[in-house]
Amino acid sequence: MKTQVSRRSALVRLGAAIAGVLTLPVARRAKAAVQNFFVSSGAPKGYDPTEHKWLMCVDATKCIGCGLCAEACKKENGVPEGPYFRTWIERYIITKPKPGSVETRGETLVDSPDGGMHGFPECPVPTDQIEQSFFVPKLCNLCEHPPCVQVCPVGATFKAPDGTVLIDKNYCIGCAFCLQACPYGARFLSPVTHTAEKCTLCYHRITRGLKPACVEICPAEARIFGDLKNLAADDPLQKFYENNRTEVLKPYLGTAPRVLYAGLDEEVR
Amino acid sequence: MRRFRLPPQILRLVLLTLGIVGTYLVARTLLVPQSFGEYGWYRGAALEEIASHTPVFAGKKACAECHTDVAQKLAHSEHQTLSCEACHGANREHALNHDVVPAKVPNSFCLRCHEANPSRPKWLKQIVVKEHYGEKCSDCHLPHQPSQSP
Repeated sequence: MKTQVSRRSALVRLGAAIAGVLTLPVARRAKAAVQNFFVSSGAPKGYDPTEHKWLMCVDATKCIGCGLCAEACKKENGVPEGPYFRTWIERYIITKPKPGSVETRGETLVDSPDGGMHGFPECPVPTDQIEQSFFVPKLCNLCEHPPCVQVCPVGATFKAPDGTVLIDKNYCIGCAFCLQACPYGARFLSPVTHTAEKCTLCYHRITRGLKPACVEICPAEARIFGDLKNLAADDPLQKFYENNRTEVLKPYLGTAPRVLYAGLDEEVR
Repeated sequence: MRRFRLPPQILRLVLLTLGIVGTYLVARTLLVPQSFGEYGWYRGAALEEIASHTPVFAGKKACAECHTDVAQKLAHSEHQTLSCEACHGANREHALNHDVVPAKVPNSFCLRCHEANPSRPKWLKQIVVKEHYGEKCSDCHLPHQPSQSP
């Protein structure tokens, strides 16, 4: 038996379906607004990313290689155990030139045992053979033109208006293109979530008016952090600018990093 | 005068095009996340999701709210650049609930920064443990005013 559908009822049903589809986004938005009002996601209220521009400066001459920053970062962000770091410290050891050579310096050794988070073991080179040795803290360089964002096939990583480069965990497919694209090695694939992870500048802290964990914890004030759009008169950032000549890592790549270094050696890359 | 009639094959093409465009528009509204494009070519809500993570470190300001005396001493000592949590560990739990007792700082912790290492900058006070006298650092140095003795 065939069911008869009158033209009138068919048209009414079609109209209802179209109306339903059209109102769906509006209904969704209304639901989200109501949820936002009654249920707190835990995110700080009143943070507008367009009103900030974060900048990180590193004074390499001040780093004492205690590794507290790398340790604090792991704790603060729940970074998985093992060789996964959002920030780490590298030790550079430049040896004396071979006797009789016309070079000014010898070989350069770089190491970062456990990202430096437990401090550094004794120098592998005898002290009398060291020409120069120093520590360099590393992190995401907050590029103005981030290569990692360009290569993401699903638009899961992006540069926020406040200058931070972030990852949308829910949309990351873990293809690891961004890991290869990052010239600073600042990304890793989390063995827990199987998505890319990186320094967020402690986004959950800076949106609450706190400093990033590594900046908070650094005992030597080697890391200076501030907001370019809301600079105070006595801002540490201002002082750092006035007293130091700054440079960035790998400037020839055109990534325009917003992590500025002072007191770097030419060997540091 | 003859009325103009759209040729049936053109009409079919127009309907097909409208159908395809319509399906695309409907699929787009359903599939594209709501906050996409709020700030750029990504999901704006992701910012809030990332920001909703709970901090672990309280920050020096939170410590100084109660421990004013220690904060005062520290501010005039060589250790003025140190954050409380650099030595005492992450203590946001303690800042929110004073019943949570922070862990003791082990004696060897001073060496984390002050043990001699040729890579360390020269301005930092460093000691070779074997050549330095004393068993416990705090026997001779007050941690909050390291140049003073207890």
